[in-house]
This record gives sequence, structure tokens and C-alpha cells, in this order.
Amino acid sequence: MRNALRVLAFDVLAPLAAIAGLVYVGLALDWPTWWVSVCSVLCLLIVQGVIVDFVLYRRDGVTVGTDDEGPVLRLVVVGLAAVALAVAVAVGYTRWTVPDRTMNADVTEVVGIASSVAEASATFTPQDPNASIDRAAGLMTPQRADAYRKEFAAVARELASKNVAGQASTISAGVEAIGPAAASVAVVMRGTQNAPGKPPDVAVLALRVALSKDGGKWLVVDVTPINAR
Amino acid sequence: MPDEPDKVRTDRAGGVITGYGIGSAVLGLLSVAAIVLGLMIWSGHRNQTDELGYQTSAMQAAADWTNVLINMSADTVDSSLRTLHDGTVGQLNADFESTVEPFKQLVLKLKSQTVGQVDSVSIESLHHPQPGEPGAPSQQPELSTVASRTDTVLVVATSRSQNAGGAQPQPVRWNLRLGVSDVDGKLLISRLETVR
Repeated sequence: MRNALRVLAFDVLAPLAAIAGLVYVGLALDWPTWWVSVCSVLCLLIVQGVIVDFVLYRRDGVTVGTDDEGPVLRLVVVGLAAVALAVAVAVGYTRWTVPDRTMNADVTEVVGIASSVAEASATFTPQDPNASIDRAAGLMTPQRADAYRKEFAAVARELASKNVAGQASTISAGVEAIGPAAASVAVVMRGTQNAPGKPPDVAVLALRVALSKDGGKWLVVDVTPINAR
Repeated sequence: MPDEPDKVRTDRAGGVITGYGIGSAVLGLLSVAAIVLGLMIWSGHRNQTDELGYQTSAMQAAADWTNVLINMSADTVDSSLRTLHDGTVGQLNADFESTVEPFKQLVLKLKSQTVGQVDSVSIESLHHPQPGEPGAPSQQPELSTVASRTDTVLVVATSRSQNAGGAQPQPVRWNLRLGVSDVDGKLLISRLETVR
């Protein structure tokens, strides 16, 4: 009974676990050519070892697992299997878990930023014309922020002279597409413009906000109306 | 490797057997823990992949449905409406006639040749219900019995109607919130809300 368990653990499960670990690494790395070759070489070595073990069992009647005089080899076999599995876990974690978590966090962050920028770009108070421009520009890439300030400086002056106030509130927003370094968010919002002596003008606007990740921070690259045509 | 067993046989381990044995046992436990962790990581990643795949197909279903809705023409209105009706479930399916009646009347009245295009499709992840508005008929209790999940898809589309009168084509902008429900693996539209 004891011998059967030792054979199972050291002669069967340990090599299988090592091979499983190597294949797992391959899956997590998506089988690049270099890993295909490394993995096949290592798997071949393991299979070879198992064959040698079996041949020596036929000769000596003792295997790696049941050899009372070879504890070091047992430790080495288990150690190699443990290393293969530990590497597999580490690679799986960095290649799968970390990007997945980052992406889920990015979705929330990106939608929040896009919604703020979209709202700020349609918000305007004649008393403080630069407040919302600054708020929007603060979330943009430096180049885009400069262009945005230039574009809106004239509009802001005009609106301020007419004493027009604008508010916008996001109704709905969702991620159209997202990658590790770029995202595109659709924002549907209601914009209200109040001009003195006129009824408020309410319009639903759909904006596409393009963002890119720069040094771990999402910044707005562009804001465009979705149905411009 | 082939030489090792013999070499080890000559290494008289003697009294340190227990030390090696304990080492092997510890590494064995470590391996078991690694296997469990690896399986958890793998299933977590598979769930994420499945989720993304599902979201893509939900967006596709919403886009397809909207495409039919915004491309209705006077002579195809009946077959279009049948297609649309077949793609619905729950409250929208029950109230389909009354919900799409305005669309139908508009198409019939204008005798228009409408060409529509879906501009943007996304899974809604942020929604502020507007004050002073009935808003979404939020929960549909009877839907939850047939559908395993319902996601809200935000669709922005533009359609141009070539009116019979030959007037300037007027672009119509659509901002739609569609509820996409998974009914036995089939994606059906359970809610249609126009954002105004």
C-alpha cells in the first residue's frame, strides 16, 4: 500500500504535474514559437526520465518512488514538479489575472473620465467662462488640451457676451472598445442652454470620447459627435 | 538523467532520510496548492473571456435589431416588423404593437425610403436616470423567469429618409437603450427606450 502510494506520487503524478505545468505556461503565453520548442524539449526529457525509471524498475525491482536509498532524487523530482507548477501559476497570474483585473478597472475609470469630459465640454457659465474648459482640459492629453483651449476660447467669449449658460448631464455611457492602451467611449447626454429671454434649449447629444493610457493614466485624446453626418 | 538512479543508490542517505522526506512532502503540498491556484486563475480567465464574448454577441444582437428598425421602408414595413417582433421577449414582446406603432405610422405616412446606419454600439456601464421622466420600466419580474441575464446596450444610429415629396433628406438621430436578454442562449430584445 505504501509502495503503491509512493509510485503514484513520485513516478506517475510528479512527471504528469510537471508536464501539466509546462503546458499551462504554454496556454498562458499563447504558444510562442520559443516556448513550443522549450516545452517539447522539456516534456521529452520528462518522458525519457519516466521511461528510464520504468526500465530500471524492470531490472532492479525498485523505482524512484520506492527506492529507500534515493531520497535525494525523490526530492529533486518533486522539486522540479513544484517549480514547473509554481512557474505556471506565476505566468498565469501575470498573463491572465492581472490584465483581466486591469481591464475591468479601466472600463469603470474610462467611462467616468469620458462622462466628466463630455459634460464639461457642454457646460458653460458666463460668470466663469474658463472653469469648465479647465476642467475638461485637465483630463486631456497636453496636445489635445491646447487645441481644445484654442477652439473654445472664441466660443466662450461669444457665449459670455450673449450671457448664455449651458449645462449637461450624462444620461448613459458605455465602452465601445477598449484595449490595454486605448479606449473609445460613447456618451449620451442631455445638454441645456439658457439664454436670457429665451426658453431653454434642450438637446440630446451623443459624443464619442477617445482615450489613451499614458503612464498608467487615462487621458482624453479626442471628443467628437457620434452622428455628425 | 539515465545515470541518476544508480548514482543515488550509492549515496547512502542514512539518517537524513526524514529530512528529505519532509522536504518532498512540503514541496508536494506546495505543488497541490499551485495546482489549485492555477485552476482558479484559469477558470477566472475563462469567465472573463466568456463574459467578453457574451458582451460582443449582445452588442451584435442589438445592432442587428436596430438595423432592421432604422431601415424600415413603406413597402417592407410588415416583414421588417415581423423580424423585429421575433427578436423580442418579455414586456417589449407583449407590448410590441403599441411600442412600434409610432414608428410604423411614421414610415407609412411618409412613404419614405429610409437608409439607416448604426454609428455606435456599447454596453452601457453608466446610467443616470433623468429626473422628471418615467425612465426605464426598470425590472420585469416575468422576464427574470425566462432570461438568465439582461444587459443594457446603448445604440446610437442615424437614418436618412428619402421622402416621397423629394424634400431634403432629414437625418434622424437615434439614441436607443436596448435591453438584451439571454433566453436559452438566444439573445432577444426585452426593452426599447429612446433617449430624448
